[in-house]
Amino acid sequence: MLLLPVLLLVFYAFTNSGNGLISFRFTLQHFAKFFTDPDFVSVLGRSLGIAVKTTILCVLLGYPVAYFIAGSDERTRNVLVLAITLPMWINMLVRTYAWIGILSKGGFVSKIIGLFGKPDVEILYTEAAVLIGMVYNFLPFMILEINTSLCKMDRALLEAGNDLGANAVQRFTRITLPLSIPGVVSGISLVFLPAVSSFFIPKLLGGAQYFLIGNIIENQFITVGEWNFGSAISMIMALIMMGSMYLVRRFEKVVSGGKEDRR
Amino acid sequence: MKKTLALILAAILALSLCACSGGAAQTSGESGTQAEASAGKYAGQTLHFYNPGEYVGENILSDFEKKFGCRVVMDTFESNEQMYIKIANGDVYDVIDPSDYMIERCKQEGLLQPLDKSKIPNLSELEPGVLAAMDFDPSQEYAVPYFWGTVGLIYDKTVVDEADLKAEGFGILKDQKYKGNIYLYDSERDMMMVALKYLGYSMNTESEKELNEAYDFLHEIVTTMDPEIVTDEIIDAMAQGRKAIGIMYSGDAVYAMSENENMGFYMPETGTNVWIDCMVIPKNAENVELAHEFINYVCSYEGALDNSRTVGYTSPNVKVAKEMAETDYEGIDAYVPRTDNPNDETFHYSEAGRKIMADLWSRVKIAAANQ
Amino acid sequence: MKKQKRPVGKAFMILSIVFFYLPIFFVVLFSFNSSKSLTTFKGFSLQWYEKLFKNRDMMESLWTTVLVAVIATVVSTVTGTMAAIGLSRSRKLVRDLTLQVNDFPVMNPEIVTAIGLMLFFITFGIERGLLTMILAHIAFCIPYVILSVMPKIRTMDPNLIDAAMDLGCTPWQALTKVVVPDIKPGIVSGALIAFTMSFDDFVISYFVTGPGVKNLSIMVYSMTKRINPTVNAVSTLVVVFITIALVIINIVPVIRERKLKKEKERTKI
Repeated sequence: MLLLPVLLLVFYAFTNSGNGLISFRFTLQHFAKFFTDPDFVSVLGRSLGIAVKTTILCVLLGYPVAYFIAGSDERTRNVLVLAITLPMWINMLVRTYAWIGILSKGGFVSKIIGLFGKPDVEILYTEAAVLIGMVYNFLPFMILEINTSLCKMDRALLEAGNDLGANAVQRFTRITLPLSIPGVVSGISLVFLPAVSSFFIPKLLGGAQYFLIGNIIENQFITVGEWNFGSAISMIMALIMMGSMYLVRRFEKVVSGGKEDRR
Repeated sequence: MKKTLALILAAILALSLCACSGGAAQTSGESGTQAEASAGKYAGQTLHFYNPGEYVGENILSDFEKKFGCRVVMDTFESNEQMYIKIANGDVYDVIDPSDYMIERCKQEGLLQPLDKSKIPNLSELEPGVLAAMDFDPSQEYAVPYFWGTVGLIYDKTVVDEADLKAEGFGILKDQKYKGNIYLYDSERDMMMVALKYLGYSMNTESEKELNEAYDFLHEIVTTMDPEIVTDEIIDAMAQGRKAIGIMYSGDAVYAMSENENMGFYMPETGTNVWIDCMVIPKNAENVELAHEFINYVCSYEGALDNSRTVGYTSPNVKVAKEMAETDYEGIDAYVPRTDNPNDETFHYSEAGRKIMADLWSRVKIAAANQ
Repeated sequence: MKKQKRPVGKAFMILSIVFFYLPIFFVVLFSFNSSKSLTTFKGFSLQWYEKLFKNRDMMESLWTTVLVAVIATVVSTVTGTMAAIGLSRSRKLVRDLTLQVNDFPVMNPEIVTAIGLMLFFITFGIERGLLTMILAHIAFCIPYVILSVMPKIRTMDPNLIDAAMDLGCTPWQALTKVVVPDIKPGIVSGALIAFTMSFDDFVISYFVTGPGVKNLSIMVYSMTKRINPTVNAVSTLVVVFITIALVIINIVPVIRERKLKKEKERTKI
């Protein structure tokens, strides 16, 4: 039940027409079609680009927040973690929909910008809107992951560092940061992966002229009907993502000194 | 390990059992109350209706349910192509509501069943001109009109000079005066139609040269005019006057114009698309009898009135169309489709044409996205 | 970390809380708007709620969402726990291989899993509808359950089961009286994850559903093209429902603990 669908997808990606299992021909043409068309490749590039931007923003915003939470006393910590988790329970589509009103012309954000003398800015249906939507949806994962790894850290280490004469900056860069890397890494995988393949965030907030690889896949299956080609694109995307996750894991091992931390 | 497996199997079995009984209990419970209300011959039946989004009257479905003691479940689609894939893959619906060219395609591929016209007496209430224009199904063997209309330019009268519209037609979309102030509609057919009609060609052309010229026209628009490509968001956006010009279906224009009196609707002299959306019954429909009843009800005065009043599209029912044009939509010219321009056309289906248009439009969109 | 004033951290914290709750606040606010606009508030009205409760499709989609989530949670929790227990007692090779496969849907982009399942149902001629949606949800929830139960089993003392059996327990009793209570926290968190995943799901449901079966996400998706504050009304209901549920989940254990403490104190006296 878990493996079969994936195998089917791979099967479709390498075969030609005929939605049956009886008549098929092995082919690589779908992969060739994707990589020889600069348009498709540019969309893939844009998807990876926006996913990287989302991930970086999530780390930059998420780390200080997680650091703050981890440094609070237990009661505040529980409340804050609950406060961060609560929106995650609300339907993702609803949360994305929520931004439409805020970002559209005459909405909250454009009124705020209006105060600074630039009236009637419309952010909806731009890349910025997509980026906001993605960060909004995925930031909690990053905060929670980093927070968990910071909380697991042994406080005695910091005291030891202090006793050995390390200042605050040194304590952070030499002790806290390396020890929180596993959290950052698993946070990255929880943000980067869904950001690359997301298709309803760009569709809702980016409009019809802004589309990512996920939208192309959806389009191939839902409106164009070229399932073999759609499967091939999905496979390419899945492989790229697995490859990048492998690299990130390797990086983690190098940074945290070869100690494997598999939960 | 074996025991675990057995347990897993048992769990799955238990699940499917309770899922089935749950579903059955739900439907029988709800239809039970309705059957009490009116014990018609359709009691307990469910009509599955597949319709474009935002395309149905406020009360028509519940009125029909009350009248015939059945249930109507409606799903919506975003495009004819999306509908086609669902139907071709065996999803079961009793009535679907695609456009002209798509009906031609489904008919060619044997996905539809012929109608029993004796069960649709209200066919006689429909506009003969519309029926005559149905060249994809001239004798209503498979299809009965639901709405019809045209495609044109919606524009803000306070911003756009009408002389420009008259002089340039669809070419106004590349008039630098309106840069950053236009909407394109995300539909390969409608946009290729706009381009081909501007160039003076038939929108059913298969000439590579003409199609490439159309592509160049659209490509120029997206690279120099900074347009926004949207789907139905355009309706509320134009009703609020967000931009000056957009490509729009006549029925949506009716809505936008009735909300905002500054809006006007213009159809270029070089021609446009006259389309007819029709109800058809797929071959694998389960409640064929009820499906006929539904089609007949939609054609009736009360059904058609509710539909047209809510949605704003032009009803094929003669009486309703006349009444709406004189009451709710008085003075809104978009409600009455143009029938006297020889350049106007209906789309026809061709597999090759479909692929080329889809491909060209997706390239235009990628060019727009890469701006 | 010593307690210290951390203005920068605090600022980030407050900003992110605002960021998280602002959209939710606006959704709730505009569900009470008397006009159709999503940008200007004209006055208080309950008309969108009235429309919502009259909209049978919407109400049914809520019901479908809850039904699917409950069934998927129960089944995937039971199956996932069983599988995890079974795996812990099987050979290392089998276990590692299975865990690798188990990681697949978790690591894979959702849309790929969704398409795989859709192709699966279509290729084997399974009519798409409520059943396929439930099956799909179970399929993508099980790996998460296994992932959260597995660590608890690893830390369990394997001798416990043998001891129980020696003391005359049947294997079933050993399972329900010894193993399950021991790994309960893992099971509970697995079930919670499964419920959220299923309740929240859009992508997978969107691809595997059939005629007439819509969950909340699909419904919202089909309604976002036009301005429609009914979506705000239904979203507000979800927000209220989730908040109440979460508050209960978080407060009940606290209250129970207090009660226990009190009782203990009483027995001491």
